[in-house]
Amino acid sequence: MRVPYSYLDRQFAEPDAILADIRELVRRGDYTLGAAVGEFEERYARMLGARHAIGVGSGTEALTLALQAVGVRPGDEVVTAPNTFIASVGAIVAAGARPVFVDVNAEHNIDAALIERAVTPRTRALMPVHLSGNPVDMAAIVEIAQRRRVPIVEDACQAFTAAIGGRAVGTFGEAAGFSLHPLKPLNVWGDAGMIVTDSDTLADHLRLRRNHGLRDRDTVEIFGVNSRLDTLQALVGLHLLDTTGAVTERRIGHARRLDAGLAPLAPHITVPPRRPGVRHAYLTYVVQAQDRDGLVRFLVERGVEAKVHYPVPVHLQPAAKDLGYKPGDFPVCERQAREIVTLPAHQHLTFDQLDYVVEQVTEFYSR
Amino acid sequence: MALHLQHRAVRAQLLAAVDRVFEHGQYVLGPEVEEFESRFASLCGVPFAVGMSDGTHALLLALRALGIGAGDEVITAPNSFLASAASIALAGARPVFADVRDDLNLDPEQVAAAVSPSTRAIMPVHLTGRPADMKRIGAIAERHGLHVVEDAAQAVGATLDGQAVGSFGAAGCFSLHPLKNLAACGDAGVVTTSDRKLADALRVERNHGLRGRDDCDAWGYNARLDTLQAALLNEKLPYLGRWTAAKRQIAARYRDALGDAVAVPEDGPGEHAVYQTFVIRADRRDDLQRHLAARGVDSKVHYPTPLHLQEAAAELGYKRGDFPVTERLATEILSLPIYPELTEAQQEAVVDGVLSFYGRRARR
Repeated sequence: MRVPYSYLDRQFAEPDAILADIRELVRRGDYTLGAAVGEFEERYARMLGARHAIGVGSGTEALTLALQAVGVRPGDEVVTAPNTFIASVGAIVAAGARPVFVDVNAEHNIDAALIERAVTPRTRALMPVHLSGNPVDMAAIVEIAQRRRVPIVEDACQAFTAAIGGRAVGTFGEAAGFSLHPLKPLNVWGDAGMIVTDSDTLADHLRLRRNHGLRDRDTVEIFGVNSRLDTLQALVGLHLLDTTGAVTERRIGHARRLDAGLAPLAPHITVPPRRPGVRHAYLTYVVQAQDRDGLVRFLVERGVEAKVHYPVPVHLQPAAKDLGYKPGDFPVCERQAREIVTLPAHQHLTFDQLDYVVEQVTEFYSR
Repeated sequence: MALHLQHRAVRAQLLAAVDRVFEHGQYVLGPEVEEFESRFASLCGVPFAVGMSDGTHALLLALRALGIGAGDEVITAPNSFLASAASIALAGARPVFADVRDDLNLDPEQVAAAVSPSTRAIMPVHLTGRPADMKRIGAIAERHGLHVVEDAAQAVGATLDGQAVGSFGAAGCFSLHPLKNLAACGDAGVVTTSDRKLADALRVERNHGLRGRDDCDAWGYNARLDTLQAALLNEKLPYLGRWTAAKRQIAARYRDALGDAVAVPEDGPGEHAVYQTFVIRADRRDDLQRHLAARGVDSKVHYPTPLHLQEAAAELGYKRGDFPVTERLATEILSLPIYPELTEAQQEAVVDGVLSFYGRRARR
C-alpha cells in the first residue's frame, strides 16, 4: 500500500470552477490588487474574527512586514523558537533584527516559562510559532508581553483554522502572519501570505507598505515594498476558504485515529500531550520515535512517506553561525530534532491507509 | 435512524473522551465546550459559535440577544418543526407565517408580502437539510432592515454557492439532537455568528446572565452545552463529512430510482443539501405509508399538522386555507429512511417498496 504525503493532485482534480474565474480575470485584467483581493481579505478576516486581513506575497513576507509594522528595527531582538521552519527566523533577520531563541516544550512549541529570561531591553517583539498547527499557550505569552510591554507577532503560517478556547490563532497578538503556500491547509496556486490585525493603524500602514507606500497613484507616503497577494491567487483562495473547516476536521479525525493506534507503542513512540480546549489544525502530524532514522527508512520502504520537520534546529544552521549559539543550548529542541517524525495524516487518506501506517510502525518496533 | 450503528464505529473514541472529562471534572463549560465551539465555527466559515443546551434554546436566545421581544413579529415557515415558531413565541414575539414552495422552504415572495411595520426578523428554516433561498431572503431583510435568524436545526454542513448555512444571517441556530446529522447523545445545540458582540451576549445569556462569576446585568437562562456532550461531539465532528457524503449518495440513488413514481427532492443550482430527511411527495401518501410498513419499511411524516393549525397557534388567528402549499404538502410528504449505515439491501427494500405500490418495477 502507498501512503503519499502530498495530495495536491487529488485536491485539485476538478479545477474547472477555479479556472472559469481565472478566465474571467483574464478578460477583466485586474491582476494586481483586483476586486477579488479585497473580497478574499474581508472573508478571511471575518472567518478569524479579526478586523483586518492584508494579502501579501508570502508567509515569510507577512512576518517581516508585520514585525516591521509593530516597530522592529535593525539592532532589535525578536524572541522565537529554534525548532521552526527557517522562514520564521529569516523574516526576523530580513527586518534587520536579531533572533533570540527560547527552548521548546513537550508539545514542540515555545516554552512560555523560559521566555521571560530571554527578554532584554532590546527585545522589540515576541514571535511565538504555532508549529504544526498546534496553538502555542497564548495566555502565558500575552501575560509576559503585557508586563514587559513587548508586542506579539504570531507566526501562524502553519496554523490557519487553529484556535484556543473558541478564539482563532492569529488574533492574540498585535499582528499575525499566515502562509497560503500549496502545502498549507488553505493553499493557493503559488506563494501568498496574509497578515491579520485588529489595529486600524497597523492595517492602514501595511496596506501602504506592501504596495510601494503608494497612498494613491502618484503619492508615495512612506517607502514601501512590492509584496502584494495576486488577484489570481485570491480567486483560488476564495474557492477554498469555506472548505478549510471541513478539511481540518478530517485532519483532526485522522490525527486522533493515529494517536489511538500509536499510544500502545510507548515508549518507542511518544505522542505529544494534546491540550483539551484547543483546536490543533494538524498541518503536520508529528510524534517522537526511538531510532527515528531507522523508522523513517523502514516506512519509506513500505510505501509510507514519512518526513522530518525539521532535522536541523535553526540555531545550528550555518546561517545562524554569527548568532553565537552552540549545540546543547536548547536541549529539548535538539533531542526532539533527533526523534521527531512526521506521518501522513492529510484529508485525502482513507482509514485503511492510516491503519496501515500504524501497522507498519508497530511492525518496525516488534522486529 | 441508527445511532447505535454509528456509535459502534467510534465507540472507543467516545468512551475515551468521556473518560477525559471524568478526569478533569469540569462538567459545566469545560474546555471541550470551547474546543467544540471553535471547530464548529470554522466548519461554518464564521468566527464564533456558542454552544447551547438544545436547538430550541439556540433559536430563543439568538432572538433575545438581537433584542426581539414583545410587540415584535418574526416571519417563519408554517411547515417547520414546532420549535421554530415556539422560540419566537417564547421570546415574547409573534410568529408570522409565510407559505413555502414545493421544495419545502420559505417562498421569498410570500415572505415579502408578510413584512409589516412590526416585523423585526425573518427566520428561514433550512428544512430537511436543504438550504433556503438565502439570496432573496437576505435581500428582503436588507431592504426592510430586518435581522435574519437562520433555523439551521436540520442543516449542519449544508451549503449554498459554497457558503455554509448558519453564516448568512445575524445568527445561525443548530440542533445537535440525537436524530440530527451531527448528533449528541442527548439534547444539544449551537449558535453561529460573525458578530463578536452577539457571541458575547449569547455566552452571558446562556449562563444566567452572569458576566464573570458574580455580576449579572440582565436575567438570563441556564442553556449551556454540557461538557460531556461537547466532548462526544468533538469525537464525532471529523466524521460528519463522511456521514453526509454517504447520505447524499443514498439520496442520489433514491432520486434515480424513484423519480418516475413520486416527486423527489433535487439539488437546486448551487445547493448542497445534507438530507436530514429524504422527503418525497406522493400520491395516496397514507396508503403508501401503510404499504411500506407492511413490508417492514419505516417511514415518517415531517410534519402532518402545519404549525398554524396547531392548538398552540389558535390565538394567532390563522385558519385552514391560509397557506395552501403548506397544507397540500402536509398530505403528500413522506420521509424515507436515510442514514449513513443503511445497507444496500435496505435501500433496495425501500425502493422496491415504493415502486411496487405504484405497480412499477425497479430498473436494474
